[in-house]
Amino acid sequence: MSRPGFAYDFPHSSLLSAGDLNPLDVSMIFERASLHFEANRRKEPRERTLDGLAVVNLFFENSTRTLASFEMAAKRLGADVINFSAGSASISKGESLADTALNLNAMNPDVMVVRHKAAGAAAYFAKVTGAAVVNGGDGSHEHPTQALLDAFTLTRHWGDIGGKRICIIGDILHSRVARSNISLLNLLNAEVRLCGPATLLPADADRWGVTVFHDLDEALEGCDAVMALRMQKERMSGGLIPSDREFAALYGLNHARLDVASPDCLVMHPGPMNRGVEIDGALADDPERAVIMEQAEAGVAIRMAILELITGRASNQRYVDDGTGDGA
Amino acid sequence: MTLLRSARLIDPASGRDELGDLKIRDGVIEAVGGSLISQGDEAVIDLEGAVLAPALIDLRCQVNPRSSGRSGLLATAQAAAAGGYGTLVIAPDAGLSSPESFAPIENAALSSPVNLIASGLLVDHDGEMGEIGLMLRAGAALLGDGGQPVSDTRLLKRALAYAATFEAWSSLRAEDPHLSRNTCAHEGDLSMRLGFAARPGAGERMAVDRATALAELTGARILLDRISTMDGLAALKMARSKGLEIAATVPVTHLIFNEVDTASYDARYRLEPPLRSEADRDSLIEALNNGQIDAIVSDHRACTGEAKAHPFPDAEPGAATLEAVLPALCTLVADERVELIEALRAVTSSPADLLGLPQGRLEIGAPADLVAFNPDVPNVYGRDGLSCDAPSAFENRRLVGKVLITFANGAIINQPAG
Repeated sequence: MSRPGFAYDFPHSSLLSAGDLNPLDVSMIFERASLHFEANRRKEPRERTLDGLAVVNLFFENSTRTLASFEMAAKRLGADVINFSAGSASISKGESLADTALNLNAMNPDVMVVRHKAAGAAAYFAKVTGAAVVNGGDGSHEHPTQALLDAFTLTRHWGDIGGKRICIIGDILHSRVARSNISLLNLLNAEVRLCGPATLLPADADRWGVTVFHDLDEALEGCDAVMALRMQKERMSGGLIPSDREFAALYGLNHARLDVASPDCLVMHPGPMNRGVEIDGALADDPERAVIMEQAEAGVAIRMAILELITGRASNQRYVDDGTGDGA
Repeated sequence: MTLLRSARLIDPASGRDELGDLKIRDGVIEAVGGSLISQGDEAVIDLEGAVLAPALIDLRCQVNPRSSGRSGLLATAQAAAAGGYGTLVIAPDAGLSSPESFAPIENAALSSPVNLIASGLLVDHDGEMGEIGLMLRAGAALLGDGGQPVSDTRLLKRALAYAATFEAWSSLRAEDPHLSRNTCAHEGDLSMRLGFAARPGAGERMAVDRATALAELTGARILLDRISTMDGLAALKMARSKGLEIAATVPVTHLIFNEVDTASYDARYRLEPPLRSEADRDSLIEALNNGQIDAIVSDHRACTGEAKAHPFPDAEPGAATLEAVLPALCTLVADERVELIEALRAVTSSPADLLGLPQGRLEIGAPADLVAFNPDVPNVYGRDGLSCDAPSAFENRRLVGKVLITFANGAIINQPAG
């Protein structure tokens, strides 16, 4: 049984939102990331696919792992990398975001990775400059590379995310990680649950294609993966929970609470972790359960794949379906 | 084991009001109604037609759990027993914002004649949310603002949303924090003539409206604390028409006294909220009759004589009331303002249902928390001695109705001589 074949070119030159991707885009990213993941693990030198390209990491908000991850991804593939981070000269001199964007763009970088505290900042940067922009986190809005690396990690364990039950716990209100994950996991047909006190959940979150829980034991029932989120105190004005110890007692993840989850339930955390608050240290360190280090590892591979695909340098830039259903 | 004979059994939960017997075994009601036969092993008390009703339940009793002596928990519990109470919810006003702060209440409960239940602060005195989840786990019956209206609406919204997570009741003082600041009287012609700084009834209406909007927004169950004006009642009626989980209490003092009592400048009538107009009092009684009021609270507070020994505006607000509530209600009944069973409902089954307590009803298997009283005999408050002799608005007031015996969990906890 054959049908007309088709070819599909990766269509994105920026990555601003997980919601811009379709399932085929995601599988192209994962296919490429898989190669990088295995090669990175074996410490194999990579082909310099980004040779001659300049990647500017523009981090208006503090970051350790995301900045390092983007920098490593770009350098592994031979790009020239320039980092600007919070506190560096131009950023702290009160220049407007538009002027910073235009000035940097005038130097003709090939990709700009932008992290900023304002929702919509990466898209604004892209609009002002017309350049290729990767959203490295815009306020409480989106963090698409994090969602991709989370889903990639799960895919490595499960093969397919479809039909799996995943619970995101804690400060969802302020979390860009949660927003990007919700849209990506929904795209991949997972069953998404959110759990936290009403003060940490967005109003009307039940319209986001998720099931909302306030009781952790109910939320964890039958889960295949759980993702604990940090309390984003820097984004809160005034207290949203009574105390860390109350949060730990009601919503803190530990081994005992996972008894109701699936026996193979994976434990994720995008970091930075507050041990003893949203996650018990022993659980975070349990190699049988926690895939937190693997998330960090996957981050480099995913970002390598994204940088290649948006610059048109990936070997799988074009997906060809020859009509036999095997793909190519 | 006790057999109570020939009582007028009044049970607001079932609507029962008839002569009959009641039997107590193992702390619970074993049989109720009709003529019961003695097994020979129980004490028999002939109530000679006196009323036997569920012991009273107070949703708001002010006592600092860290106080000792005359204003401490045990002395207050004894006064409650003398007043026919079986259960007190201790108001969180004194800073109950963590499970540890309940320790003195848990300790006192071991030797208290009546059931003591803690309640916790939604927002502590530093403007931080109280440990709502942990306090509910530790047995808090409800949460509240501790009588201090929270002026930061965003903070209040968050605390209510958080409390709603646990489907807990949040008690909010029905008062505007700014209109009521530094006032001691109800705004009107009389308070102006007396020279008092006064607050308008409209402040209560605004607070009820704000609470209603927040209940809609957060899904919180809100108990409007101490409604005292017709303005507040009108707003309450609107709130109820929206089908929200809103309940309301009135202080017993405001069913009996009005602003005219303050014209003596007598600090015993310095109360919070202040005494209102006679029209307000009439509206509260009417609201009690038509079911708008879920509970009558004692709002008992044992002020010291020194705290009251000031000119009216400077005196500490509050009154000792635990031993006045039942006579006050009997007086309203004698004045034909309310039916006895309706008055009792607001201090027994209605607050019990609100908190999901098993007591507060004459029902087989329910805890034997009972009060026997004579609803008709004259009773001048304080003339025959009191368990709590702290200053009270009721002092020397001519009331009717006297407590004969109080039981908690089947044991006699109060039986005045004679």
